[in-house]
Amino acid sequence: MIVEKIIERAMRKAQAAQAIMLTQETSEVNFENDRLKSAESSQRTQIDLKVIVNGKVGVSSTTDPNDVEGVVSRALEAAEFGSEAHFDLPDAQSLEPVKIFDPALLPLEKPEMIRMGQQMMDMIKSYNPEILAGAGVNKTVYKVAYANSKGANYTADHTEFNVGAGGALVRGTDILYAGHGIGQKKRAVDTEEIAAQAIEYFRLAETIVPIESGEMPVIFTPSGLIALLLSLGLAIDGKNVHLGASPLRDKLGQQIADPRLTLVDDPFVEFGPRTSAFDDEGTPRKVTPLIEKGVLRNFIYDLDTAGRAGVKPTGHGSSRRLTNLVINAGDTPYEQMLRDIPNGLLVHEYLGLGQGNPINGDFSVNVFLGYKIENGKLMGRVKDVMLAGNAFDALKNIAAMSKEREWVSGPFAWFSGLMPYVQVGKLSVTAK
Amino acid sequence: MQDRLTEALKAQDVEYADIRVEDTTNTWVNFRGPDLDTIGSARTVGGIVRALYKGGWGYATFNDLDDLPKRVREACETAKLVGRDTTYFAPAEPVVDVIPARLVKDFRQVPLAEKKATMEAYNRIVLGYHKSIQASSVRYADYFKTVHYANSEGTYIEEEIPDVNMIVAAIARDGDVVQTAFETGGGADGFQSVENFHEKAESAARKAVELLAAPPVAGGKYSVITNQVMTGVFTHEAFGHLSESDFVYENPRMQELMQLGKRFGGDGLNILDDGSRPGGLGTHRYDYEGTTTRKNYLIKDGILVGRLHSRETAAKMGEQITGNSRAVFFQHPPIVRMTNTYIDQGTAKFEDMVKGIELGVYAVNSIGGQTAMEMFTFSAAYGFMIRNGQIAELVRDVVLTGNVFDTLMNIDMIGNDLGWEPHGPGGCGKGGQHPLRVGLGGPHIRIQNCVVGGQQ
Ligand SMILES: [Zn+2]
Repeated sequence: MIVEKIIERAMRKAQAAQAIMLTQETSEVNFENDRLKSAESSQRTQIDLKVIVNGKVGVSSTTDPNDVEGVVSRALEAAEFGSEAHFDLPDAQSLEPVKIFDPALLPLEKPEMIRMGQQMMDMIKSYNPEILAGAGVNKTVYKVAYANSKGANYTADHTEFNVGAGGALVRGTDILYAGHGIGQKKRAVDTEEIAAQAIEYFRLAETIVPIESGEMPVIFTPSGLIALLLSLGLAIDGKNVHLGASPLRDKLGQQIADPRLTLVDDPFVEFGPRTSAFDDEGTPRKVTPLIEKGVLRNFIYDLDTAGRAGVKPTGHGSSRRLTNLVINAGDTPYEQMLRDIPNGLLVHEYLGLGQGNPINGDFSVNVFLGYKIENGKLMGRVKDVMLAGNAFDALKNIAAMSKEREWVSGPFAWFSGLMPYVQVGKLSVTAK
Repeated sequence: MQDRLTEALKAQDVEYADIRVEDTTNTWVNFRGPDLDTIGSARTVGGIVRALYKGGWGYATFNDLDDLPKRVREACETAKLVGRDTTYFAPAEPVVDVIPARLVKDFRQVPLAEKKATMEAYNRIVLGYHKSIQASSVRYADYFKTVHYANSEGTYIEEEIPDVNMIVAAIARDGDVVQTAFETGGGADGFQSVENFHEKAESAARKAVELLAAPPVAGGKYSVITNQVMTGVFTHEAFGHLSESDFVYENPRMQELMQLGKRFGGDGLNILDDGSRPGGLGTHRYDYEGTTTRKNYLIKDGILVGRLHSRETAAKMGEQITGNSRAVFFQHPPIVRMTNTYIDQGTAKFEDMVKGIELGVYAVNSIGGQTAMEMFTFSAAYGFMIRNGQIAELVRDVVLTGNVFDTLMNIDMIGNDLGWEPHGPGGCGKGGQHPLRVGLGGPHIRIQNCVVGGQQ
């Protein structure tokens, strides 16, 4: 195996080494502007090496499996001037069994993917021929091989399937985009349901309604929760905590959200979009409770940050990326949540997310897809509206959480997870 | 490589095919807080074959260069699955050209130790500036990319693309208030472009500390003046993306909206995209379809006169090719992108713009922007209130938002001071392709009735 060969070469000079190799094949079909536009086959190889020499870290990578000498010598050079290693590589450990490979995806070929895309296109066009429809189907099969100088040696075969559909509707100077997609590690997918969900977003948005500026209750859809989760994600990043940049740095064990809220990072969801058994540092993954009944339970750490902070790595990889996020279901049926609001806003997508200082929790975003709630009903889409507030204040100010939950995943999603609709007491809405 | 690509293309049996192979070496040095975060280097080799058949595209991307004719055949077969209509593809003159890099101080010869020491000095300046500096982030990156491009019409272009870039950021904290400020540097001409940055490093730290005491701007409608960088971001984000004709060419309603000859602004408004401008961040001699880059007027005297094209979109719309088919990495086919986009300078003096404003906002520099067709939103790094015709107190959280068609009409003064965003990391994102190098520029401009977001 190439990773083992690289470790062996690197260990001639290094005291520790780890190598990870990705080999990947992807097939993809894309529909754009009402027609089949392109299809693609891609082959990918990526090798990443990390070495520790005299207590210092060096990294290097290559796309060429024949470049073993090159990648090793560049990593060794980098280690001469590298950062101090605050960690040991993990020992070989037993891994949790995970469902990440669906053999049913292997025989799936482009003509069938084209047929799936066409079916979703047809549904959207038959709902409204004015919509310029698009769709995409993407199948990926990849292998990850990890080895380190402590004898850890893992491989994992993954499949991945991304399916989405949507479109643009132009009326005068108004342009409406809507779409829906899913991403998962198995083949079984309901294309009709995906197209139906995309159509539902268009249907709700058909009418444009005015809205007055002011403070009002806001319902975040499962996708819309990113406005709050973005800040939370930055604030629980162990690196931001360690550097003192996180406003939650001294809040472990404290109430930071409404007691009804529990948020867990679960890498073992069957065929989940981000399911896997080990991360790119050879750390076995595990379920990490982030918030339990409103109480902050964990930050997430990679090897190096964990070493610097004197804690254990959490298995979220060198870039500390969350896996499948799961928020518990609430006790309010979604319909009732709506019914109880005389005047409010339901938000689904934004423009300008992450600008400003998101780690503070402050957000000020343009509502790209949002609906006005009046007397318990969705009245239509709002335009030129800014939503502003603070994510951490909002988490404390949850008014209701829906019984229903939906998966957020796939090509249009900012994160992957299973989420309810969450209603926040009051937020500032500015209409133009 | 020329022979290998030309030979491989003989395997094509479609209407048009091309291959682009890229070979990149890069290094990076990142400090975060007092510690070195990462240092390393990488080599990436890979390519893409595009095949066009009956209006359908087939792509094959790969890291493994061993069997190029096989990739060509793969792309052709895929194109045949897709192609069902007529091919539109504007002709371009075949060309053979080699464009070497020109470096003053070749960063490939600079040892990692020196790159590290240079960044460490800036990092120390930031961290030592003031007790309220909580953290720092100094990120250095360089790459040397060689792009080989060949197509079935006989074109072969080989271009060396060097780049050095750096961002020095300071993070200041006071209680729960955290403020970030940064300066960027770099260039296409070598390592010297990131040397002697000490004063800029200090000014980033100073700005972060000053912003701690600055109040957030109150949301509302204002007369807004944008500085050169912010004008550039506005022009690129709000208008430029609408000029990318792939949005328009298969969409009759968008064509109506972006009809040439339509008035978009006052007589003094001129917006251009110029991929041939010397020294620009988005400058290249050719795009990734072998088209020569050129200066393209998008808006002339307030009237929409042009848009940006690939060879496909130009043919579909019956317009001239513009040289705007670009891609970030070899994994991506080229799509219609901007190069160096700017509002041309006018005649107004900055003092005169401020003078006429009773209550307004001066938005300075940019920390990001986003658009969805006619809606845009972008954040200034910081701003100043304008009160009674004078620049007043520093404010933070300045987010401009609105409808581009209204906003362009609402520009009532255009400055005489064209400037460009300094070199740095980052770039434009579109269709999953990020970051593409683009130049952003313009003079100071004044916009009436502009919505500034914020808590009320
Ligand atoms: Zn852009």
